Amino acid sequence: MVILTGRTIVSAVTPPYSYGAEFTGQFLFALRLCWFPLLVSTVAFGYEAPGLQAANFLVLFGALDRLGGFFVLASIREFAPFVDAIVLAGVAGTAITADLGARRIREELDALEVLGVDPIKNLVVPRFLALMLVTGLFDIYALLFGVFGGVLATLVNHEPLGPFWATFFNNASTTDLWGSVVKTTLFGAIIAVVCCYKGMTARGGAEGVGRAVNQAVVIAFLAIFAFNYVFTQVLLATHPELTTIVR
Amino acid sequence: MGDLFAAPRGWLESFGEIVKFSSRVLADVANLKVFKYFGETLRQAGILIISSTLVIWGLVFIIGLQCGIEGAYFDQSTGTPAYAGVFAAWCDLRELVPLCFGYMMAAKVGTGIVAEIGSMRISEEIDALEVMGISGITFLCATRLVASMLVLPFVYLCSIGAGFFASYLAVVQQIGDVSSGGYFLIFWEFQNPPDVLFSLIKAMAMAVVIVLVGCYYGYNASGGPVGVGTATAKSMVFNIVSVHLISMLGTQLFWGTNPRAPIGG
Repeated sequence: MVILTGRTIVSAVTPPYSYGAEFTGQFLFALRLCWFPLLVSTVAFGYEAPGLQAANFLVLFGALDRLGGFFVLASIREFAPFVDAIVLAGVAGTAITADLGARRIREELDALEVLGVDPIKNLVVPRFLALMLVTGLFDIYALLFGVFGGVLATLVNHEPLGPFWATFFNNASTTDLWGSVVKTTLFGAIIAVVCCYKGMTARGGAEGVGRAVNQAVVIAFLAIFAFNYVFTQVLLATHPELTTIVR
Repeated sequence: MGDLFAAPRGWLESFGEIVKFSSRVLADVANLKVFKYFGETLRQAGILIISSTLVIWGLVFIIGLQCGIEGAYFDQSTGTPAYAGVFAAWCDLRELVPLCFGYMMAAKVGTGIVAEIGSMRISEEIDALEVMGISGITFLCATRLVASMLVLPFVYLCSIGAGFFASYLAVVQQIGDVSSGGYFLIFWEFQNPPDVLFSLIKAMAMAVVIVLVGCYYGYNASGGPVGVGTATAKSMVFNIVSVHLISMLGTQLFWGTNPRAPIGG
């Protein structure tokens, strides 16, 4: 997989840049496939985990207006990227593995190589770039709907929304936002490499493709979570000002 | 634009099909037909233990670390580092351990079932079973459902343990703002046995849905090797959405009106 990553990056930056059309196609494909699951997932997640549970806790102290500040921490920094990556890996990643795996089984990839077409340049690079871009952009989308979940939780508790937005924007910082977007872009790269690798090395007929998808999604999840832990730790430790809650 | 809404409409249709299929599987379990194949059930349970438990625990362990550092830094910012246990207890037990269990169940067990049953369908093994007078739904799907119900409660309870251990490591050993005793005092104060039960119910609801969805997509796979791959990918979409929805409904139901915390009156 590391070799595939290296070759993909080298192939992406060396001319000729012949992958434009495929890149657009993959981008739209991922967009079309993911927007609805992501919408449902982020609203549900934003409403339940940071929304209801944190609101429960804050209501006990009569301090529900602090929920906005909590949402910066919870939704922007942690949960929106994380739900975003899970949905992209589960929806777009599995589709990529199934697609490439099917091509491997039907020997289309071998045929491409015989014709002198480089499968990395024409199949992996566009998927890699498209998934990176889509995951990074979907982070903003996930974030908006995650915060919408928080708004719902505030409304359920019959509280006005003014204090929510006030503490939210008091605590929101640009570092948090770019940290979140950079993180998800890298998640996209991880998902694309794992899923392409597993798809391109699928073997063993019908069960092989299914098993490749299975392994791809398991490895992608583990890699995302492990990377998330390291990234959060580094970001929080190197930017101590992020952890100060503004009143 | 019509293209954009084609996929959600398709899922609504398959949702109906899945409910129909699930009721057949559940009927087989309810009228005890499945216990004719108790040997197969035990075999499936064994496979589940050997192949999936470690991965599930691994993922939950990582998320426990994550909850730990987020909680520790959050409580640093409010000036109450000693209370990191509250965040860890709620984050682990109530929300993220069930969710991660659901994710990993969907990824490992759900897609595994689709791949396995799907390839049986493609290679016409299911038709062969039915020719021999064995019902495919009972033998393949109902046995898997019963096996997962036998094994998964214990797997889940252990994974709660893995998550707690990881949070402890992150908060006390790694960040180190709170002593071990202080951490545990708060940590155990903010949870009680009903919480564990509710969390278990949430996770088991996810597990049942995931196994049923996996069986449905596998059992109805068509179109050669490509079909199995597509079915696997589709089951994953459905499972991710349903895991989030179940989790949300569970939280609303169990903790929505009653925070169950030892504060106030």
